[in-house]
Parts: sequence; structure tokens; C-alpha cells
Amino acid sequence: MTTTVAAAAKPRLGGVPGYDERSAFLLVAPLAVVLMAVAVFPIVYSFYISLFTIKLTRPGRTPFVGLDNYITVLSDPQFWYAVERTAFFAVLCVSAIAVLALLMALLLNEEFPGRRVLSALLLVPWAIPYVANALMWKWIYDSNYGALNGLLYQLDFINSYMVWLGDSDKTLALIANAFVWKEVPLATILLLVGLKTIPADLHAAAKVDGANAVSRFFHVTLPSLKSSFGLVVVYETMMAIRHFDLFFILTEGGPGDASHVVAWRIYVETFRNLSFGTGAAMAYLLALATLALAYVIIRALARKI
Amino acid sequence: MTAITASPLVEVRHYRTRSRLRRAGRGLFLAVASLLFLGYVLAPIVWLVSSSFQSEHEIISKPPHWIPQAPTAQNFAAIFAARDSSVTYETRKARDPASGGFIPSTASNLLPAMLNSFIVACAVVVLNLLVGVPAAYAMAKIHFRGRQASIYAILATRVIPDIALVVPFFLFIRNLGLLDNIWSLIITYLAVTVPFSVFVLVSYFESVPDELDKAARVDGCSRLQTLTRVYLPLARPSLVAVILFAFLASWNEFLLALMFTQTPASQTLPIVVASFTSDFTISFSFINAAGVLAIIPPVILALVFERYIVSGLTAGAVKG
Amino acid sequence: MTTVTSIRALNRRNFLKTAAVGLGAASLASRAGPALAAEPISFATWSAAVDTVKSHLAAFEAKTGIKVAYSNSPWAQYRETMITKFIGKAPIDTLWVSDSWLPEWAEAGWIAPVDQYKSLTDNSDVDQFCIDSMTYKGKQYGNTYYSDYMAFIYNAELLEKAGIKAPPETWAEVAAQAKTIKDKGLAQWPVLFSMAQESWLIEFMTAMVYSNGGRFADDKGNAMMQEPAGGAAPALRWLVDAVQKQQILSPSCVETGELAVLKAFSSGEHAFALTPKYRLRTLNDPAQSKIAGNAKIALMPSGEKGSHATVGWMRFYGMTPRAQADATRAADTVKLMDWFGGKADGEYTFQKMLFRDVGSGFGVKSLFSDPEIRAGYASYGDVDLIGKQQSLARKKDVVTPWFGEWNDVNGTAWQQAIMGKVTVEQALNTSAAKWTELKKQS
Repeated sequence: MTTTVAAAAKPRLGGVPGYDERSAFLLVAPLAVVLMAVAVFPIVYSFYISLFTIKLTRPGRTPFVGLDNYITVLSDPQFWYAVERTAFFAVLCVSAIAVLALLMALLLNEEFPGRRVLSALLLVPWAIPYVANALMWKWIYDSNYGALNGLLYQLDFINSYMVWLGDSDKTLALIANAFVWKEVPLATILLLVGLKTIPADLHAAAKVDGANAVSRFFHVTLPSLKSSFGLVVVYETMMAIRHFDLFFILTEGGPGDASHVVAWRIYVETFRNLSFGTGAAMAYLLALATLALAYVIIRALARKI
Repeated sequence: MTAITASPLVEVRHYRTRSRLRRAGRGLFLAVASLLFLGYVLAPIVWLVSSSFQSEHEIISKPPHWIPQAPTAQNFAAIFAARDSSVTYETRKARDPASGGFIPSTASNLLPAMLNSFIVACAVVVLNLLVGVPAAYAMAKIHFRGRQASIYAILATRVIPDIALVVPFFLFIRNLGLLDNIWSLIITYLAVTVPFSVFVLVSYFESVPDELDKAARVDGCSRLQTLTRVYLPLARPSLVAVILFAFLASWNEFLLALMFTQTPASQTLPIVVASFTSDFTISFSFINAAGVLAIIPPVILALVFERYIVSGLTAGAVKG
Repeated sequence: MTTVTSIRALNRRNFLKTAAVGLGAASLASRAGPALAAEPISFATWSAAVDTVKSHLAAFEAKTGIKVAYSNSPWAQYRETMITKFIGKAPIDTLWVSDSWLPEWAEAGWIAPVDQYKSLTDNSDVDQFCIDSMTYKGKQYGNTYYSDYMAFIYNAELLEKAGIKAPPETWAEVAAQAKTIKDKGLAQWPVLFSMAQESWLIEFMTAMVYSNGGRFADDKGNAMMQEPAGGAAPALRWLVDAVQKQQILSPSCVETGELAVLKAFSSGEHAFALTPKYRLRTLNDPAQSKIAGNAKIALMPSGEKGSHATVGWMRFYGMTPRAQADATRAADTVKLMDWFGGKADGEYTFQKMLFRDVGSGFGVKSLFSDPEIRAGYASYGDVDLIGKQQSLARKKDVVTPWFGEWNDVNGTAWQQAIMGKVTVEQALNTSAAKWTELKKQS
């Protein structure tokens, strides 16, 4: 864009060479400080801790073990099981979010009375705290008194109350449902923003060419939404992989190990087994994996656009 | 477009009927879609509120009473009245708390925790603005070396999972003696919310024409003065969006608060509410009432400032 | 300046800034911290008998003028909650501890031996079982809070309706009677057990294992759970069959905690349950239970090669190094521990109140023959049977420094077997492997 122009004729307002640069650095400095402390520091310190065996039940012995903790973690089949659970959870969540958010964004993009009310109410799930969300769904899923059982029973879909969270086949899906419910509003807004930026001329031109609503959707709307979709997919994948709160409150990793995702395993390893070394190793691996995943997805999207 | 093929009158009539049908069909479709939408979004919360107004006796009905048949505000009363009142041998409840109707001693922490949450959230918002706005302005308007890289770097910091932050942070803050202090939360939340704030602000600032900037500096303003006198007044939608995001993120955060707070002195609302969840010694309806209290402030905020969120996010996207 | 050096300069500047900000914030924060002088004694418990504790505390504060900060949290996650507090260096002076965690917490240095406080170690009137459970490596770590065992409870009314004359004496009979009750449509899930991953789980499992004639670990501390003879297999197999084959136990048992068992059993929808013996009191109180008068205790059913043995446990008041660090604080804390765990004004006030309110057992020898106590038991249970079962109660055999970590893996393995995801042998082998691994590391 203007980079070549700027390089050739940098404004020298203020009269001092490098003034712009210095101002920029001063303005950005506080931000840089804060982020260095919270981004760079944990990564470095996390790696440092992971090189030792630190078991709080044996405070005296913390030998340096190099990369042993990583080998222990990576060769533990339980860890890979957790990775599989996390991947399954993330895929389930992101697909559901993408579909639901798209449908809702399309609805909110239409002009009709009450649309403002709908879009205001859309924000309610997003605003409530994760804990309140977890509590609410735990109560709804309750095997003895829950609303889900009650509703299905009253509608004659089931004959007697069923076990929900305690049924290991259903556990992750139910947790995913609670997660999706809370995340859909933000995703909807991001897609809505994308929808609003599609110039009306594109739709008009398509109409002139004889396209009906459905084919307009597939040939005009969807392609223009690529970057918004990309943003939603990246963001929600990151959120799903790292999510902890619902697992802590709804199932504590159970039943059995049905909801043992990586974030939960790190918590157990660190705060229950009190093995800070291996916990830090796992956390470091998760951080690296997330970075790599983000990079891959962003590159893939950049290429498409 | 005026393609005259058939007799005008017939064309118009067909067009009108077809259009009315189409409009009716569209109206019906939108109505159904809206109902489904509302159902999905609001039903769980309506149930939460309904449960909070039921007595313990009613709440365990099978199937559940969707609308309370004997609504009572006793759960909310219990929360607001909860006090560490002194209990003597004579006044003690001589029964097992497990049989219900028992308000835990942590109930009296609910309101102070709300205050803590509020203080933390406000501090985070203020710091977000102080740190984020100048940086966003610089990154949007000043073409300094490393600008592109810094925008990516800032977004990259959010990629690190919170659970990976907890372990090193916990040890670091513990060694500093800052555990159980709301400052540990404020600093951490600031770092966690500032990237998104900067991202939103940068998008917004980039959409404001450069001419304004140049004009101000020709008039002799320094960078800082340009920022405060020219850009801030214009940036209201995105500022409100940032304030809202930062406030809600701090209010709702759970994992870091769980790790960094030990006593009611610093515990925030999500922690106190979570402490009720698995304890069956208190009533289900009480838990739901606590949940309702936890969602009221954020929901009110979101509803009041709803239009700024969309416009705050849209601002950067619309070109020209 | 080239880009690289300017960035390095920026980084150096920022690093110094970070350090400065950090130190500044820390000093500011510590000034904002709480004043340490004259802090009340911090007493942490789980949420049992809360009002009873509060009333006794009020009397303590009135008598001694020592202020106590009392807090409680759910028993189901008590160990995790306390550990988080310990590693966060939260202020705790005395707290309730389960015998299961004594080695772990002693090794980590979170609770300290109390041999130097003579009033606490005066064990003249303390049951031997309790003394043994509070002692680790020859040192005593506190005084007794309460002691009890896992009991087998049945709903007499349901059995009568089903035409069953006498409660079951073996686990096979339990299954048969449960089937009868289920077939007659009297209960959908006649057997109600808690298999949720929480603090109680080890006690439920151990009761099953002991009564089936097995053990988790042998006397030398080596894993024995996986042995076909004398291990935990018969117990686990009974549970798996009850859920999967006979369908007399609901698959939701892996989600059901002990408190949920109490609530559900007291609503009269089940026939047989394992509960701590003290729950008998609540289950037979008309104000707290729908089946009052019908909740009866029977001897723990025996397995094929088993006996009527059950698991016994005790909980005690522990003392932290923080309390012991300061002489006045230590003296005050000991006074509090004596007031609760020993005699208050010459009487075992707290123990008797606990018994009356919640039905708790105790570790005080003389109270066993107290007429008031015996009358209390008689009002809701067969005193002799209760006493007989007590004599058959044995201490858990998994109490070691690595208990916490092994317990997590073992619990998960049992849950997976019950859900039919792995076989009984696989589950027990996983559990044994973890035990052996942790034992080697210690």
C-alpha cells in the first residue's frame, strides 16, 4: 500500500529525525512490558521448571532431570488419550459453533421488526460467567432432578430418567453443548460483521444473473465470509483446546476418564499429584501445540484468501 | 429494468400476489426462526431463574415444575441475610447439614466476593485503556519498524492456554508473596485482556482517515495530544466495546482466580459460587439463586451496551 | 541502528521496566496486605456438623477469649482444596485430617508431629485403633475427631413388601434379593452405592474388598489387588455384574456421591446401600428422612471366601508448622484442639453433641459404655449389632505417602470396569502397576 511512499518520504513533522519511532516506542512500551511479563515469562519459566522433578510431597528432593519429564509425558498412553479427547472435543465444538453461528448470523442479517431485541438477547449467554454456565448445565443434566430428563420424559421421548453426564458415551458431547451454547453469540457477531461487509452490489449482480436465494448463498455469501469464518474457526479452536472451567465443575474429568482432556490432565498432574515438573512439561507442550496449530490454520487461511 | 413482454396489468397482478405470498412466507419463516433462536439462547437461563424461585421441596419434583407453583424468594433472602451469626448450644440446628435447608457459612462471602470482582474488573478496564489505547494508536498510525510483527506477536500471546500460565505464575506470585491479593488477579487479567482490546482499537483507528492525524500535527500537536484531542472523542464505540470486553472477561474469569486466591479477602464471585456446586449440604434452589446473582451484572451490562459491541467490531471492517 | 539491535535495546529496556514494575507492584501490594499481628486461630474443616462446631466454638471463645476463624469446604473435594491452600501458603493452624492422608501430608511437611504437647498425646482414654491411625513413623500427629466404619443398610419396609424374611448375609444373597425386589416392581435400582471419584470412594471400595476376603496391599506394602486369590477381583466383579448383568445397580453410581446416596436412600427408592454407620441416625430421623424407622443395619454381607469384615476409619485434628512456629499461637491452637478432641470443661461435650446431632462414632473408650450413648444407639439401631460390626472393622491398607496419586488412578480404573470399558483384570492390573511404580519412586 503506502509502504514505498512512506519509505521515500517519511513525515518529519516535529522536526526531529526518528521522532516518530521514539514516540511509537514510548506509546507501545507499557503494552510490551505487560505482555512480556505474561507471554514470554511463563513460557520460559514453564520450560525451566519442567527440567526438574518437583514433587511437593517430597520437598527436599528436586533433581535436575533434563528432558526426562517430556519423555515421560510423551510416552504415557494416558497423555495421548487426553490428546484424542481434546481433539474430539474441539472438532465437535467448532463444527457446531460454525453451523449455529452461521444460521443465527443469517437470521440477524435480515431486516425484520424485533431484530434489535434478538441481537441484544443474543449476548446473554456470552455475558454470563463460565462458572454460572457450568452450574446451570450441571443442574439441567442432573440425573435425578434435571430439566433435560424432565423435558424428554414429559414429551414421551424417554420412559424413565436417564443418566447423562455419568454416561461416558455422552459426557464429552454434553460438555461440548454447554461450551457451544456460551460461545455461539460471539461467533455469531463475528460472522454478522462479515456479512455486513458484503457489498450489496454483489447480491444485486447475482440476482440480475438469475441466481435464487440458495445459489446466492453458496456463490456470493459463503465465499465472502471466508475471512470471518477463518477468524471464528481459529479463535474457537483455541478456546476449545484450552478450556478448563466446564471440565472442572461438570465432571472433574470423569466418569472414568471420559472427559480427561489435556487441560484437565495438567491440572491433575500439577495440583492433585503435586508433580510440578511433569505438569509444567505438559503445559509447555500444550502451549507449543497451540502455537503450532494457530500458525498452521492462519497460514492455510491466508493462502485461501 | 423495463422489459415489456406481456400486458402490464396481468404482470402487475402476478407480481403483487407472488410478492405478498413471498412476504408472508418470509414472515412466517422469520418468526419460526426467531422463536427457535430465542428458545436456544434463553431457555436454559429461564430455567435457572425459575429454579431459583422454587423452594427446596418443590425443586426436586419429577418431572420438574417449569413455572414455580409456590414461588418463594427465600433463597435470595438467605444470600443477602447470610451473616456469620453466633450459634450457641441452644440455638444450633441439631441435625445433619446433609439433609438440606442448610446455608453454608461461605454464603456470607457471596456479596463481598461480588465487590472484589467489581474492583478487579474496574481496575482492569482502567489499566486496559491506559496501556492499550496509546499502543493501538501507535500501531495504527505510526509506521515504525516492527509494526506488523508486533501486531502478530500481540495476538500470539493469547494462543498460550491459561493452564500453561497458571503453573509458572503461581510459583512466581507465591514467591513474591502476592498470593491471596487482588493485585495478582488485576495484573494477570490485564495481560490476558489487553491483546484483544488492542486488536479492536487498532482496527478502529485504522479506519479513521489519516488526514485528521496529519492535520492535527500540522497544527503543532505532539503524538500524544493528537491521540487525546482528536482520536479519543471519535473512538467512542470501540472504546465502549473494549471496556465491555475487559470488564466481562475479568468478571467471569475462573481458573486463574481459583489458583491465586485463598481466602475471602481476595476471592472473586465465580470462586465463591463454584464452592457451592458440589456441596449437597445446601439446597439446589440456593445454588441456582447464587447463579442468578452471578449473571445479573454482566447481563445488564451486555444488554445496555449491546450496540457498541457490533459497531465497535464493525468499525474496522467496513472500508471507505 | 539496525532493526535487530533496536529490538534488542527495546527488549533490554523492557526487561528492566518489567523488573522495576514487578518490584514496585510487589512492595505496593505487600503494603496492601493484611496485618499479621493478632490473627485469629484458623480452623479448617469439611462441611459436617457445622452448627455443632459453631456452637462449641462460641463456648470456646467465651471461655478463653481466643478468637477463631472457622471455615469449611465440601468433604468430597477436601483433600484437593486443602492441598491448594497448603501450596498457596494460606493461613491454617488446625484442621481436620483423614487417616488416609497422614503419610502424604506428613512427608510434605504440611502437618507437624505433636508429641511435644502433652495434653494432646495423653491417650489414656483413646481407642487403640485411633492412636495407631494418627501415628506415622513413630510420631503422633494430632488428636481424634471421630471414628466410624462402613455399614450395610437396608430398607426394612421394602424387604417386607417383597416378602423377604431376613436381610442378606452374603453378597450373592444381596443380588438375589435385589432381583426379587426389582422384579416385583418395588424399586428400579434396588442397590444404591456411591462410586463417584471423591473422598469417600476409597472407603466404599475397601469395604467391598474386605468383605469379599481380599486386600489392596499386603502387610509388606506390596500390591495385592491384582491377585486372583486374595485380591480385589471378587469385589469389583460383583459391582460390574450388578451394573451390567443383573441391572440391580444404576450405571449412574459413578456419578453418585455419598451425600447423594444419603438423600436418595432417605427418599425410600432403594433397598440396599453402603453408608457410613453414623448416617443411620439421619436416616431414622422423621424430620430428615422419609423412611424413618425403616433404615436398619445388617452385618456387612460376606463374599464367597470372605467375612463380615468392613473398613473403619478415623479423622483427627492436625496441626500445621505455621501454628507451631510461634509459641503463643501453638499454645492457643493446642487449647482449641483439646477443647474439641479432648475434654471441654471436664466433659466430652463435643463428642456427645456430635453423636446426638449427627450420630457420629468417637474414639473415646469410656463413651462406649456411657448409658446415654447406648440409649442413643438403641433408639435407631441394634446396639449389639453395631458393636459387633465395630469389632470387625479394619483399618485401610492403602495408607501410604503415595495414596493420593494412586487413589485417583485406582478410582478411575474401577469406574471404567463398572462402565464396562475394561475388564476387571485390566482395571486391577492398571491399579497394581501404578501402586508398584509409586512405591518404587518413594
